[in-house]
Amino acid sequence: MSVAPGWRRIFRLAPRGARSLERDVDDELAFHLAMREEKLRMRGVPPDAAQTQARERFGDPSRVRDECITIDRQYAREVRLMEWLESVWSDFRYALRTLRRMPAFTTVATLTLALGIGATSAMFTLVNSILLRPLPYPNADRLVKLIQSYPEKGLDTWGVSQQNIVMYRDGATDFAAFAAYRGASLTMRAENGPERLPAVRVTADFFKVMGVSPALGRPFTTDEDAPGRNNVVIVSHGLWQTHFGGAMSVLGKTIDLDGQPTRIVGVMPPDFAFPRADVKAWIPMGLDPSRTHGWVNSGIARLKPGISPQHAERQTTAIMWNWARREPELIGAGSSAPEKTRMKTIVTPLHEAITGRTARPLTVLMAAVSLILLIATANVATLLSSRAAARQREIGLRTALGATSGRVLRQLLTESVALALLGAVVGTGLAVMAVRVFVRSALVTLPRLAEVTVDGRVLTVTLAVSVLSGILFGLLPALHGVRSQGTSDLNAGQRESSHRSTRRLNNALVVAQLSLSVVLLIAAGLVLKSFQRLTHIDMGFRPDGVTSIALALPARLNNAAATSAFVGTILEQVRAVPGVRSAALAWSLPFEGNSNVDGYLIDGRPVPPSGNEDQTFQTAVSPGFFGTLSVPLLYGRDFTAADDTTGLPVAVVNETLAKRYWTGAAALGKRIRVTGDDTWFTIVGVVASARDLDAAATPLPHIYVSVSQAGGTRLSLAVRTAGDPRSVIAGVRRAITQVEPSIPLDGVRPLSGVVDQSLDTRRLTEILLGGFALLAVILAGVGIYGVMSLHVANRNREFGIRLAIGAEPFALVRLVLGEGALLAALGVGLGVGGALVATRWIGSLLYDVSATDPAVFVSLPLLLAAIAVASCYLPARRAAKSDPMQAMRAD
Amino acid sequence: MADAESDLLRSSLDLLVLKALTWGPMHGYGISEWVEGATDAVLLLEEGTLYPALHRLERRGWLTAEWGVSDNNRRAKFYKLSAAGRARYRAEAPVWHRHAEAIAVALRRTSAQTA
Repeated sequence: MSVAPGWRRIFRLAPRGARSLERDVDDELAFHLAMREEKLRMRGVPPDAAQTQARERFGDPSRVRDECITIDRQYAREVRLMEWLESVWSDFRYALRTLRRMPAFTTVATLTLALGIGATSAMFTLVNSILLRPLPYPNADRLVKLIQSYPEKGLDTWGVSQQNIVMYRDGATDFAAFAAYRGASLTMRAENGPERLPAVRVTADFFKVMGVSPALGRPFTTDEDAPGRNNVVIVSHGLWQTHFGGAMSVLGKTIDLDGQPTRIVGVMPPDFAFPRADVKAWIPMGLDPSRTHGWVNSGIARLKPGISPQHAERQTTAIMWNWARREPELIGAGSSAPEKTRMKTIVTPLHEAITGRTARPLTVLMAAVSLILLIATANVATLLSSRAAARQREIGLRTALGATSGRVLRQLLTESVALALLGAVVGTGLAVMAVRVFVRSALVTLPRLAEVTVDGRVLTVTLAVSVLSGILFGLLPALHGVRSQGTSDLNAGQRESSHRSTRRLNNALVVAQLSLSVVLLIAAGLVLKSFQRLTHIDMGFRPDGVTSIALALPARLNNAAATSAFVGTILEQVRAVPGVRSAALAWSLPFEGNSNVDGYLIDGRPVPPSGNEDQTFQTAVSPGFFGTLSVPLLYGRDFTAADDTTGLPVAVVNETLAKRYWTGAAALGKRIRVTGDDTWFTIVGVVASARDLDAAATPLPHIYVSVSQAGGTRLSLAVRTAGDPRSVIAGVRRAITQVEPSIPLDGVRPLSGVVDQSLDTRRLTEILLGGFALLAVILAGVGIYGVMSLHVANRNREFGIRLAIGAEPFALVRLVLGEGALLAALGVGLGVGGALVATRWIGSLLYDVSATDPAVFVSLPLLLAAIAVASCYLPARRAAKSDPMQAMRAD
Repeated sequence: MADAESDLLRSSLDLLVLKALTWGPMHGYGISEWVEGATDAVLLLEEGTLYPALHRLERRGWLTAEWGVSDNNRRAKFYKLSAAGRARYRAEAPVWHRHAEAIAVALRRTSAQTA
């Protein structure tokens, strides 16, 4: 836009102000009317008529006047804005020139800010991508997850059976669409051997609920959701690329899934990864409303517009109660009215269901990183104020030349904002790299990790934060610089007074930095200590040295007798591999999450009273399972090869379960069963309790049964090896392939890795918070060092004189260290106070460590205080070496 | 005045103002005299409408304004074409010609058939 012609004009008008703008319009219009009137008169029109005619020809002068004034006002505003921008830009260029003249200062300040801003920006990228951005589905705010809950039965979170699916699908009017899904693992027979496919079984409306259609092909029809007709599959973009070369001919192709010829009817778009990032195939559930058990599915629904999740929850809860009244024996609800229990559905926004557990750690980390930014900001403020003395003369000169203090203030602020922007540029670069490394590192698995990107919002927030921090760290020194100009000392002789107030400001900044660092340090200390406790916890089994191999048995082995024979052969072969110390099979190893969870009954005892203790894990295992995992056998015996279909059904229970009803070996010989199955198992052994799924939770009751009696085609092989597992596992693979070539062998991982993965979010918090605390301590240490150096330099003359009149050099060291110690004590004291308040907020991230853990609250602040005092040592030494003559000459 | 007519008049008036000023600086009254003379008073029904147009053109940077003294020794606001205004005139005039001719041809047609 070209405003150049207006410049001259606005300069001329500016002193006369807005009223003249109106007067100009009046004058201009009056001139026109007068000219017209004159011309008419000259043509012989009588004066009165001439005036009226001129007015008539003109139209409505007041309307014209208003219109012109409005336009002129807008124009004046635009010109002022452009003028302002122009001067800001020139200030900015001046600031960059100034910064270039002091490269050391600029580099240090830019790097400090880049660390602060970069960390903030990187962390905000995570928060933004995971917590703030809507899920990548159309109208994602209307998506909800539905599960059931029956706390009286120990079922705080309870899946949905196929019978349940149909009743919500057909009964709930709040949903525009309702579907359900559950995870599955399929074996695909491909040309180069069998392969395990992470898959999901879904009901027909799944894709309608998600609002995402296959990129290629079509979604499932309702017809295909019937049992026996569900021999179709939709594959992921990834599988399509790796196995079908991205060819269009994939549609209609038949592949072998779990021995079942299955037709590919669709390919999902590349970014669709629900419910898990690794899903490679979606297959119809084969919905069978008569299946009343198997509460293993999750409901997912799209709310009708304007319906709240709470409303849908009330509606579906009513449906659930009707079901409970109809089928009282099914869930042991007895005759009691369901509305008198806490039985209900839980309808959660999908976004919350996916990211809920990550929200707290991420928010805490975001808060931590904001503290880092504040510390960095305070650091740069002290750096700036150390420059203030040097700038004083320049400011004085500019004031003397007529710059108003407001103008000088703006110049100084522009300078600090320019500095912050430099920091932001470098920091954003750092952040982008850090985020990229983090996402690829596979250090932790967070929900939506694949969606993490730096977007416009991140950049906007970074920019805003930088400008804000620039103003923040610039304002104090700048105000101070402008204010002390009152005495206007162009001669630098009397600097002491302004030094004193600079010192007060710097001391305050150091105290602030130290106290913020203490808060961070204590928070990090508590989290680190928790993590330490958690990783050194006695899990009740020893995962180290154990390798887990997922074994998906072919469908023909889907009966207990066949399983039994297979288990015998495979264990014999695997145990014969050199380097294998022991091996066992199970439905699930600890933390793999494939055990059953069910209620249970004990023979001869009444149905247990309501309470959270009515749930038990149930896992079928082979002989040698407890030995391989190093779970101590307390009483009785392990399973043996004789515990097969021909023998008495037997069980081993864990100590947690046994102790609830019996003492010592009294559990042996008693009979127990799970509610989902009517086989009574005789207890033949009691083992120590092992933790499962959540290392932080005390072990639940656990019933182990014999895999040779229970059967199962999804097994985990646990192999304890001596020495390097890799070479041994190669032998194990060969042994397995020899026994059964159709088993895919791509699910091999160390059991310790499986356990580690359950600590992911905690590890994220631990690593990042620890890193942030370290950064904070370094920044605070550098900050106090800088400030004390400045103090010593400023008091060079005083120290010199003191030495000259006989002061001990050591006394000066003590003086400086004493001052440092006072600052440290003040900062640390305030920090501990702040931490007492702040750590209450991270209670849920802690494990077995109190939020006011005395050891952490004493040792870390002391450590920081020691670092602070140590940072003063060099400046103190310098004070002791002050040369009085040199100090005098300096003036 | 109907919107369509107002838009049409406004853009044609703008063009005429630019044209008037190609002969040199003029005050508002002078411009109105020229426009009335040049168009047989068809376009400028009310002389007042000229002024918002002038101020708008000034705001867009096509005109510059300066106070000066008129022939009969009165204080008057003189408008001058800026370089941008001159360029604008050169760009707009041929467009106007093309449109006017096209519209005139279209309005003279006597059948619904397309050629």
